[in-house]
Amino acid sequence: MAVEGAVGISAGIGVEVSGLTKRYGTVLALDHVSFDVKAGELFALLGPNGAGKTTLLHILCTIMTPDEGTAKIAGADVVRQPLRARRRLGVVFQEPSLDDRLTLYENLDFHGLVYGVPAALRHRRIDEMLAMVELSEWRDRLVRTLSVGMKRRLEIARALIHDSRVLFLDEPTVGLDAQSRARIWRYLHELRLQRQLTLIVTTHYIEEVEQADRVAIIDVGKLLAIDSPAALKTAYGHELLDVTPHDPAVEAEILTRFGDRVTKGTDGALTIKVEDAGFIEAFLADYGSRIRSMSRKEPSLESVFLSLTGRTIRDQGATARERTLAFGKQGGEHTR
Amino acid sequence: MSMITADGEEESENIALVRVVLGGLYAIWLREVKRAIRDRGQLFGGFSRPILWVVIMGVGLNPYFRGEVYGEVRFVVPYTYLQFIFPAVIALNILYTSVQAAVSVIWDREFGFLREVLVSPMPRSVILLGKVLGGATVALFHGSLALVLSYFADVPISPGDILSGLGLMFLLAFGLTSLGVIIANRIRSFEGFGVFSNAVILPLYFTSSSVFPLDPALTSAQTRVVYPEWLVRVVELNPLTYAVDALRGNFIHFYQFDPRLGPLVMAAMAVGFFTIALIEFRRN
Repeated sequence: MAVEGAVGISAGIGVEVSGLTKRYGTVLALDHVSFDVKAGELFALLGPNGAGKTTLLHILCTIMTPDEGTAKIAGADVVRQPLRARRRLGVVFQEPSLDDRLTLYENLDFHGLVYGVPAALRHRRIDEMLAMVELSEWRDRLVRTLSVGMKRRLEIARALIHDSRVLFLDEPTVGLDAQSRARIWRYLHELRLQRQLTLIVTTHYIEEVEQADRVAIIDVGKLLAIDSPAALKTAYGHELLDVTPHDPAVEAEILTRFGDRVTKGTDGALTIKVEDAGFIEAFLADYGSRIRSMSRKEPSLESVFLSLTGRTIRDQGATARERTLAFGKQGGEHTR
Repeated sequence: MSMITADGEEESENIALVRVVLGGLYAIWLREVKRAIRDRGQLFGGFSRPILWVVIMGVGLNPYFRGEVYGEVRFVVPYTYLQFIFPAVIALNILYTSVQAAVSVIWDREFGFLREVLVSPMPRSVILLGKVLGGATVALFHGSLALVLSYFADVPISPGDILSGLGLMFLLAFGLTSLGVIIANRIRSFEGFGVFSNAVILPLYFTSSSVFPLDPALTSAQTRVVYPEWLVRVVELNPLTYAVDALRGNFIHFYQFDPRLGPLVMAAMAVGFFTIALIEFRRN
């Protein structure tokens, strides 16, 4: 534990990213991205598919090297001191990375051994973490007998067996039912209170982003905005109007009239940006009788996302789900 | 402990690294062994394969293992066929199990477990070494299963033979497991492995002078008259030939080649294949 306290050279900073750039051939996946995450912060990364989120996460987890720029995890450089950085970070990948032929205990013990956690501490942590994610009575079952939600919980427990100070979670609640999602967030909040843990989360559930201390919005490899949810809403948020037209003719009319301000979601609804106070009254007077339904939304992160990227988060959600489904069917990304 | 010098930190970092390396090697090795013990299919293969080869094939061909030399019918080599193939069956069991260890490499990659290992603070060399040591241990165990059949094969083994034999078997298992990892790195789809193992294991086995001898009584020129030249060439080029020869020398004291050649080729295989596997693993 003495070692723990001693390495606080960069006290107060969880992750430092500066000028991070990554190219795939001629495609710029990350374009000089810089930001700091304070120790103990809950930090959310928001962005459509292909925005560079995964590339960023992979560089921070040291499994990919950047072309330019530096990144530090609790003071350890991910390129020059990858082994040191890895001891300080925990990762929960979107796709499970458990050995399902081993028991829960064996998976956690493997992790502890591999991270060099001394025996006494290892055994204590395993019991504590299993209790936290409410899987104690499954301790000696094979992992293959667990449900998807339970596996995700076990992975969170596993990432905390060693002294991780930064925890990366890539879509930790995707594919889970509402109850399991709530549960996972409860554990994460508990953990923040117990340990000085920095959480970096990617998610496309907008209500989950709301509870973050700060949100970074990324698109085409660039950092578009970074601030607290409230500040982002004040700066970029708009009231939104969700409209379902009666027939295609009305839809076409609305689309041509409002142009850039309208986006069409995958479910067929139109989302219109509200820019001035009297807009809704005027809209109702013109189209009130020709629409099936209309709902008004307060400025939300959804509208922030829309005005920054020109895309609705719902579209992004659908494709992420499709991707996961496709992944499950193929049995892995290496099958191609 | 509020003040710690840079040296002190460096030192504790080194201690942590040692713990990671030793703990990691043990953890990966243990996982391989546990998975193998729990895999009933693999265990069954380890038992049934030598029984089929020794009790059925060996016993069946035993009476025909003789040839006509100067009008006189006698054993071509001064051993029964059972005795002759027994060391090769040990090599076959090791070959199968080692290459099967590669299946676990593919599984790790397909089902994401590889990522858990890649983000861990273990150096890449330790990850690979643990994997190969684990696979080699399982292969050694399967080789020992074949050893149990020595009684039926009429091969008397002294404790000394067993000890040196286990050493040779482990060396072979280490090299072949590394080869398995190299092959696994090249397989992109899981279904492909069955084809690959049949394309690698059986050809390697059959061309290693395992089931037929290259009669040492014949000169090189005479051998080429008895057997087609290409076959002799293939057998001589197959590194497994020299491993089988070393095992045969160890268990029934019959060598077809220079006795020093076997251990040398096996050591070269172990070092060579492991180095290639490591270079590839680091590159990815």
